[in-house]
Amino acid sequence: MITFEHVGKRYPGGTQALSDVNFELAGGEMAFLVGHSGAGKSTLLRLIALLERPSRGQVLFEGRNIGRISSRQIPRLRRRIGVIFQDHKLLSDRKVFDNVALPLMIAGHGWSGIRRRVHAALDQVGLLDKQNMRIPTLSGGEQQRVGIARAMVGKPPVLLADEPTGNLDPALSAELMQLFCTLNELGTTVLIATHDLALVHRLGRRTLVLEGGSMIRDGTVDATDSSSDPAGSMGARQGSRT
Amino acid sequence: MSRRLSRMRADVRSWSRRHGYSLLSSIGSLVRHPLNSLLTIAVLALALALPLGLYMALDNLRQVNQNLERLDSLSVFLHIELDEANARRLGSRISAWESVLAVDPISPEAGMRELSGAIGLPKASGSNSATAERPDLGLAEVGLPWVLEITPADRTSLDTLSGRLDELEEVDLVVIDLDWVRRLDALLAIFLRLVEIMAVVFALTVLFVISNNIRTEVQQRREEIEVLAMVGATPGYIRRPFLYAGLWMGLAGALLAWLLVVAGLWLLGGPVGELAASYATPIMLAWPSPNLVGGLLAGSGLLGIIGAWIAVSHQLLRINP
Repeated sequence: MITFEHVGKRYPGGTQALSDVNFELAGGEMAFLVGHSGAGKSTLLRLIALLERPSRGQVLFEGRNIGRISSRQIPRLRRRIGVIFQDHKLLSDRKVFDNVALPLMIAGHGWSGIRRRVHAALDQVGLLDKQNMRIPTLSGGEQQRVGIARAMVGKPPVLLADEPTGNLDPALSAELMQLFCTLNELGTTVLIATHDLALVHRLGRRTLVLEGGSMIRDGTVDATDSSSDPAGSMGARQGSRT
Repeated sequence: MSRRLSRMRADVRSWSRRHGYSLLSSIGSLVRHPLNSLLTIAVLALALALPLGLYMALDNLRQVNQNLERLDSLSVFLHIELDEANARRLGSRISAWESVLAVDPISPEAGMRELSGAIGLPKASGSNSATAERPDLGLAEVGLPWVLEITPADRTSLDTLSGRLDELEEVDLVVIDLDWVRRLDALLAIFLRLVEIMAVVFALTVLFVISNNIRTEVQQRREEIEVLAMVGATPGYIRRPFLYAGLWMGLAGALLAWLLVVAGLWLLGGPVGELAASYATPIMLAWPSPNLVGGLLAGSGLLGIIGAWIAVSHQLLRINP
């Protein structure tokens, strides 16, 4: 589904965000992307969603090199990827319903279909009763869930999430992770960048560890395997750095 | 075949839905910032009302001009040896012609008075001694013939009438006094050119005002545009509400300009009526024709779309990664 081959990303100004990243995410797989802030997690996700283009190597999405597709084809590609942003990226002057309906309106769905699917998505994140509220009146966690509803309302084959549980209390984040797992079981490929290592451990899924722009680990971790604790290795590296 | 057809139908449906959403969104954004929209529309209306108002003034002056041209007259110079009795007899003969409204015979003395007045000789007053003192004029030696001032019944037959008069053996010369008409025509032509120049200048004003307004709007909604792009909106989809907004502004501005000009004409109606009464000629003020109003609306709407297109495309280039 998603393949990174020797991908490097250097921003104008010389910051090397990613260097020589290689991995493959199969269709229907669910993986976590961990690493401290500045490790390149967000850049990696932005490359998949074509919010950035790689400066080296190639990113393949469904077998196509998306670094090379024309800008005319970008919108079509983005509709196949649901992205949940760290800073929500919601339209603050619109109601919850309108925010979630946005991808469907862009795709030109009929109004009755939009209503049904938006209600279903809001129901899944537990915000159906707040559909007519405006974004600024919601809490941070609620806003995050609106973002999740918007990302999944179009039933995209791939979901990317950048710190989706960052502002949520543990019970709620566990609930949302369960939601991601459910979506994954229904066939959606899910890649989640997160700080929440406890959660990563508990779920025992494939975990990609980024450090300073390089992928230093790719494998499954679980709570019983302390030797492969990415938090430990990260902590050690972080400690040596500071 | 039928599958292709139904797929096409579905494409058209989703295309029209997307247009519908854009249309609603554009109205929504205008309504969300009513003061801003109203101010812009007012500026547009004033910019459009000025050339339109001047054009209407010109249109009405032209009508007055056409009325005045009926007053054109021919001056028929008779042979110098023709005496008063013959001149008056000829005059009454001509006045019986169908194409002639009135004939006014002018004696050599009256002609001399008029001529002296015209060239600024206050004391000339037709006396031979006065002109004799100025041999350079040579009027005494030449003398003046009898002149018939003829008012034609119909302005269009002026040329045929003058040809017919020319063929009479008593007639020496036929002069059509069109100078002042020509001057007025020339003045009106200058005025028309001025209106045309102003129309172009103010059309550009409309373009820039709308373009600038949409540019600000795009900057204010930068975040929204980014979000739209991220969830898969095409540049066309992002652009469309702004194009509609430009269209609405252009149309509303033109509509308000039309109302302003109509109100102005209505206010002018009273005084113009009084002036017309003093001339004893009924003058009807001309109102903007449906064609003119239609052209104004279409032109302004189109300028709105173009202005918005320029602004959005420029901003989209800056926003899109």
